[in-house]
Amino acid sequence: MGFILDHLSYTYQPGTAYEVHAIDDISLKIDDGEFIGLIGHTGSGKSTLVQHLNGLLKATSGTIYYNGQDIYDKDYSLHDLRMEVGMVFQYPENQLFEETVMKDVMFGPKNQGLDEKEATLRTYDALRKVHFPEDSFDQSPFALSGGEQRRAAIAGVLAMKPNTLILDEPTAGLDPQGRDELFALLRELHDNSGITVIIVSHSMEDVAEYVGRILVMNDGHVAFDGTPHEVFSHGKELSELSLSVPAVTTFTEHLIGHGFFHDDNIKPAVTVEEAEGRILAELGRRS
Amino acid sequence: MFRDITLGQYYPAESIIHELDPRVKLLGTLVWIIGLFVMDNIPSFIFVTACLIGIIVLSNVPFSFMARGLRSIMVLVLIAAIFNLFFTPGTPVFKWKAIEITDAGIYNAVIMMVRMFYLIIGTSIMTLTTTPNNLTDGLETALAPLSVLHVPVHEIAMMMSIALRFIPILIEETNKIMKAQMARGADFESGNIITKAKNMIPLLVPLFVSAFRRANDLALAMEARCYSGGDGRTKMNPLRYKGYDFWAYIALGIFLAGVIVLKVVF
Repeated sequence: MGFILDHLSYTYQPGTAYEVHAIDDISLKIDDGEFIGLIGHTGSGKSTLVQHLNGLLKATSGTIYYNGQDIYDKDYSLHDLRMEVGMVFQYPENQLFEETVMKDVMFGPKNQGLDEKEATLRTYDALRKVHFPEDSFDQSPFALSGGEQRRAAIAGVLAMKPNTLILDEPTAGLDPQGRDELFALLRELHDNSGITVIIVSHSMEDVAEYVGRILVMNDGHVAFDGTPHEVFSHGKELSELSLSVPAVTTFTEHLIGHGFFHDDNIKPAVTVEEAEGRILAELGRRS
Repeated sequence: MFRDITLGQYYPAESIIHELDPRVKLLGTLVWIIGLFVMDNIPSFIFVTACLIGIIVLSNVPFSFMARGLRSIMVLVLIAAIFNLFFTPGTPVFKWKAIEITDAGIYNAVIMMVRMFYLIIGTSIMTLTTTPNNLTDGLETALAPLSVLHVPVHEIAMMMSIALRFIPILIEETNKIMKAQMARGADFESGNIITKAKNMIPLLVPLFVSAFRRANDLALAMEARCYSGGDGRTKMNPLRYKGYDFWAYIALGIFLAGVIVLKVVF
């Protein structure tokens, strides 16, 4: 089922000098089990859009259907929606507040009404999933390093076992290894548990390898919507939106331009592995 | 939740009031407060109201924006008015058991309400038309003579400007943390006062942590740029009076004289 967004618009501070149309008449369908990258430069409305999906912001006009139900309906419980649609904010480590990491991760499951035992089990499970060092489970979250705080905070959302997981710039401030680990974890969650994952990012390079669908936002509108291959074939238009396609896509595009490949209909590669395969195949054909 | 806070908020617009030197506006606010307390009869009330309307029109700030600040002090004003209404001795106009309302009580209650409302509107015009930086600059220059008495004028002004600068940042931070915790099922609205206070912990702890972290970062950044207090520090845009600032001072003088004359004559 998933989400259906119907002519959704949101305006910040309507009627004042500070009025901003953050998202403007967006209609979308997001199916269960999709892995989506939501891309756009700063201020394009991507963060505003995802905050509608769990009802943290209420649209100025338009509506959202989740599993066929209107979430703005009077009888609809936004609390229940938030229990199913997990949201990891930008710099989630800023939300840590408890005395120990365990207690902090348990905050979500307890709000779901789970008993102590079940909440503890889920907490252990979530902390292990994010590779959180086991000897730090009972430490104060404020004594941890930045990377460990980030993992604890993400575990805090995972422990709620959401059906949909939304992450707003989850890799900001992480080192390359931390980034790869996080993406590997998200892929594993998506493939094994079948949950919907939506990653908000300003970098195509980051998400291209993992996601099945890319939504490009610009100025409150959805500019492009499709598979990475489809979206990246609009390299020129994307650079006009101050977004760049992955370096490997540009590279294979140049190779095609110079007539490197025998096959004229070959498409530019999106990931390094894909480019590698094509180049090796071409070289193999030649020798 | 924080939409009603207009204190210290700046409303960008183009008007003669926005252009005035902050020192003029600071003195103007002081004169306005004095004027409000001098005012105690109908003619002076009409005069003061006319001046207020004139300034509101000149300021180019929508009145609804100023009125938003009134909402938050409504309760305070009502309590003050009720106390004045029932506990002022004078000729009774209404009596029921122990409750007595006197003519002086009604008069006091009304004038009290008018004074408080005008006070808030007057001061919010100052903050709405002056950027926080300008305001503290004005305050610093206006209070400069006090540094002879070893009052740390520069430090006070610096603290004020930092505090004002951080109000919107902290509000934004609060909203962000609130949303993050609501996404984890936190509930900030229901329950009695004790559960409500308890439910605030997931909001307040991260907020304090981030406020301290920001203060630390800011102190470091200031030191890295060789900040060492006010001694020998110069300004990039020092305040200079322009022609209309003198006219504004004259207008203030006329206003004060007008209120006093009206009080004495009638």
